[in-house]
Amino acid sequence: MDSESKLVNITIDGSEVAVPEGTTILKAAERLGIVIPRYCWHPGLSAPAQCRMCLVDVEGAPKPLPACVQQVQDGMVVSTDCVEARKARRGVIEFLLLNHPLDCPICDAAGQCMLQDYAHETGQLQRRAVEPKVVLGRDHVTSEILYFADRCILCTRCVRFMDEIAQEPVLQVINRGHKGYIDTMTDELFEHPFSMNIVDVCPVGALVNEDFLFKARSWDLDQTASICPGCSQGCNVALGTKENRIVRLKPRFNPEVNSYWMCDYGRGEVVRWGAGIRAEVPMVREADRLAPVDWSRALDATVEALEAAEGGAKAIVDPGASNESLYMVRRLMDQVGFDGGSFRVSSGPQHVLKGFPKLALREDRAANARGAETLGFGRVDDIYGAVGSHRGVLFVLEERLDDAPEDFADGSALFVYIGSVLSPAARKADIVLPSPTFAEMDGTFTNFEGRVQRFTQGLRPPGLARPIWMSGSVVLARMGGGEPFTSAAAAFGALADEFSAFSGLSYEKIGLTGAVSAAAESGATAS
Amino acid sequence: MAYPYEHPREERMLSQYFGDKDAIGIDGWIERGGYKALEKALGMAQDDVIQVVKDSGLRGRGGAGFPAGLKWSFMPKDGKVPSYVACNADESEPGTFKDRELMRWTPHQVIEGIIIASYAVRAQHAYIYIRGEFVDIVRVLNGAVVEAYERGYLGANILGSGYDMDLTVHTGAGAYIAGEETGLLNSLEGRRAEPRVKPPFPAQKGAFDRPTTVNNVETLASVPHIVLNGADWYRQWGTEKSPGTKLFSCCGHLQRPGNYEVPLDFSLKELVYELCGGPPEGRELLGVIPGGSSVPILTVDELDCDVSYEGIEAAGSFLGSGGLIAMDDSTCMVRAVRRMVEFYAHESCGQCTPCREGTSWLTKILKRIERGEGREEDIPLLLDVGSNMSGSTICPLSDSAAVPVVSSIQKYEDEYMAHIRDGSCTAKR
Amino acid sequence: MSDAMHPAIAGAQPSQRAEKNPDAPLFEGAYKERFDGILTRYPNKRAALLPVLHMAQEVRGWISPETMNRVAELLDLTPAYVRSVASFYTMFALRPVGRHLIQVCVGIGCDLCGAEEVTERFLELTKTRIGETSDDGKYTVVEVECLGACAFPTVVQVNDEVYENVKAEDVEGLLKELD
Repeated sequence: MDSESKLVNITIDGSEVAVPEGTTILKAAERLGIVIPRYCWHPGLSAPAQCRMCLVDVEGAPKPLPACVQQVQDGMVVSTDCVEARKARRGVIEFLLLNHPLDCPICDAAGQCMLQDYAHETGQLQRRAVEPKVVLGRDHVTSEILYFADRCILCTRCVRFMDEIAQEPVLQVINRGHKGYIDTMTDELFEHPFSMNIVDVCPVGALVNEDFLFKARSWDLDQTASICPGCSQGCNVALGTKENRIVRLKPRFNPEVNSYWMCDYGRGEVVRWGAGIRAEVPMVREADRLAPVDWSRALDATVEALEAAEGGAKAIVDPGASNESLYMVRRLMDQVGFDGGSFRVSSGPQHVLKGFPKLALREDRAANARGAETLGFGRVDDIYGAVGSHRGVLFVLEERLDDAPEDFADGSALFVYIGSVLSPAARKADIVLPSPTFAEMDGTFTNFEGRVQRFTQGLRPPGLARPIWMSGSVVLARMGGGEPFTSAAAAFGALADEFSAFSGLSYEKIGLTGAVSAAAESGATAS
Repeated sequence: MAYPYEHPREERMLSQYFGDKDAIGIDGWIERGGYKALEKALGMAQDDVIQVVKDSGLRGRGGAGFPAGLKWSFMPKDGKVPSYVACNADESEPGTFKDRELMRWTPHQVIEGIIIASYAVRAQHAYIYIRGEFVDIVRVLNGAVVEAYERGYLGANILGSGYDMDLTVHTGAGAYIAGEETGLLNSLEGRRAEPRVKPPFPAQKGAFDRPTTVNNVETLASVPHIVLNGADWYRQWGTEKSPGTKLFSCCGHLQRPGNYEVPLDFSLKELVYELCGGPPEGRELLGVIPGGSSVPILTVDELDCDVSYEGIEAAGSFLGSGGLIAMDDSTCMVRAVRRMVEFYAHESCGQCTPCREGTSWLTKILKRIERGEGREEDIPLLLDVGSNMSGSTICPLSDSAAVPVVSSIQKYEDEYMAHIRDGSCTAKR
Repeated sequence: MSDAMHPAIAGAQPSQRAEKNPDAPLFEGAYKERFDGILTRYPNKRAALLPVLHMAQEVRGWISPETMNRVAELLDLTPAYVRSVASFYTMFALRPVGRHLIQVCVGIGCDLCGAEEVTERFLELTKTRIGETSDDGKYTVVEVECLGACAFPTVVQVNDEVYENVKAEDVEGLLKELD
């Protein structure tokens, strides 16, 4: 907000507030903690003022005014709760429910539905209409999104998302008046890499993600602040989890990164995350087999092996690993003698969101390639070639090694596998330290432009899996490298002290919306 | 077809040549004094043209009655951005057919008004947004526009004045709401004719986001007369607040339906009974809607007023577009109201919830009552739904739909109750 | 049509005098000239949408999905947008209609003066129901809202011809006149 703009004083529901000129009543009310009911208004879209839910009473105005577009004027006295405003809202709710199927028990939006919420708050219990309801049915609008026309309140948020943000107006209101509905071109489905946002903006259950259909009731989901690991953009997300599984991802507002949006790829990607045979217990090689052991045995074995190791350490890391994990691997390697680490990044076509061009599904389909580079790991095409003739210690962090050559790691004196999934190649390790996925621990990623962002733990890790910043710090301590870390924040603190690209940052400073270190901002490169 | 009826008590300024086929073409029009006002206007300063229209007190004839000169004065005067005039020829208010006749008989009267208005507000391009259903009128208008171009009244350097201006005929495609001025602008831009939220007003941000003046056909047709003869001359008719003459489209159960032009202080009762001849032989009037279907109905006892904006308002209705609909005792009021509300349900653009849902619900309730399935509680229900639809939407269509329901219940509740209680109708067939 | 039409009126040709060949080429020859003329009258292409749809209907008799696709392409719009706009306006036929599209005004003025009987007579004689096309493809009868000629009830528009003061007893003769 422009600091020079003039402040005007207004009164809303008896409380006074000073807001900059040009602020809408709806925004001014939010300053006072008053949420004015609305359907068509969405903070990321234009305001057509058409649902008429946000009508409020303004002293001296001949009729109620839409709070979403009405700008404040000095001395304005607004009531959101008087008889007139309540009657207007009750009227709108009644109109919206005239033909609404009231199928909440089988509607995906139940529990997060603005129609349900406001109907409970302002609606009347008794239905006054005796006319039969209009039945319209449902249809696909994309191959993954279903449109339930009967539930639609024609707020046009989805239409405006496609028009203003995607800038491909392929979803439209068809017909007019009470015959209106939302559709694509006749008999066509549309495709757009950001299409799923129309499900998010839908205030009711009209647009639903078929993938989520009937999977969970929204009130059964736990919400955790996280970062989408799908690409190097680092969209801020909320993980919706149930029974220790990720059910869905929803974008979490961050004006610097993804606004209210995220791409479809990210959502689909993460629900598949962690598929495969999980590494649940530490394992140590005994002759020809990997024997499950407890952590103390595993750590003993690791310390012992590292102390005896010769020939330096190489590593293959995954660019989806957290900064804290990468940092710990780097420290462990330094104990033996850092001899270079590499990673590869899978890539795909870039898709920029035209109406919010800061956001793109990036070519790098990994969350932390920038972090890995900052911590001294090198991007290569062939991760296996880089370690082919290595005779010393080999660390592998999170890389799944699905396509590893037959003789992978055969020459290494010691192969330590730190990861969450055990592929056949990983099973060749001498020591396996099971670790959680990003959803199962705290940590940070550095996005493509150097923004460091925190994700938090939403799931319990399986079995005995522990983050490497934790288990590795015990190994380090035993080898004379200071005190073990008791939290991800502490691990990050040590990292920030050591690497200038993170200098001045802490979990507190990063918060839940991320930060860029002063050093990174001024263009300084990694130490 | 010849113009059906005229009456000696009319004051035929706009309608002088209705029925005169020779007035349609440009030669005939010039012979009758056409385009003299344009010549005069082009010799005046733009602001002086605006001033004379302001002084005349001419009010918008589309229905809202906003002072035309004042509207013009909102247009920017610096000429920094292109600006437009839009002639609203989307006449669709049920019961209204005056603009149609103005364009049918005197297309050049309208075009001359448009050119003068465009000059006054410094617009370079004007559009006539005419409803697409007016197929025969479009042909007349097209011919006149081409003639005006050929004679140098349109195009570059009009009459050697240095003023350049283009005029384009743009046909609508079937949408009442395109007659609402911002709905018209959206439609002109190739969009759904959905009314816009105001502010910004068209004079700030109109067609193609540029300053635009939207005026009704009859308003613009009045302009040449005012420019040529002066504000005082125009004020010889009507009242202080409602100067001039106005066309009344009279239809329904009348002996002589048609357009009548009268001064705005003329008696409504005389208009109905004398000029229009009252109801057909052997019938009694039941009620009169004086200004198109969106204004409250007046009972026969309420017609003792003049037809000025304020006169009709004092009687409990509005002048609106001047579309007078008379209903005699053969009318089933519930059916007539249902028909009017059904129109609004058909024409609602569907943006605003109260209008989209309310118009269709009202129709359904009224149909139920018509079928004899009404309940006594339907009366308060209709009133409450009407109240929820009023004053709660972007444009007044929603209010308009509620008006016939509310006003007919206030004045003709017996007719509703006959349907509800006895399943009968009070109409005398 | 071959004499160049003034661009001021190129977009405002009553469109229902249809040659009605659903496969006729769009915007060729004189129509191309008109199309180009229309574009000169507006600051952007979108504004040409209504005139161009009218013209397409004039050529093909109705606005098919193929027509919408082509119009979208020519005016740099999405087909869905064109469909949205076309479906807003009642004069655009999004389904084929009979050779004679009979539009009976049922606005309040005509309704008070017997429009219902006129409609019923049309339906009876064309053996159709509202909105249906007769088996021989000749007639489609529809009810339309106020046609704005309320003093001359009932108003009936057939394609782009207007008939005023139509009474139920006139309908038979009117239909004969059409053939």
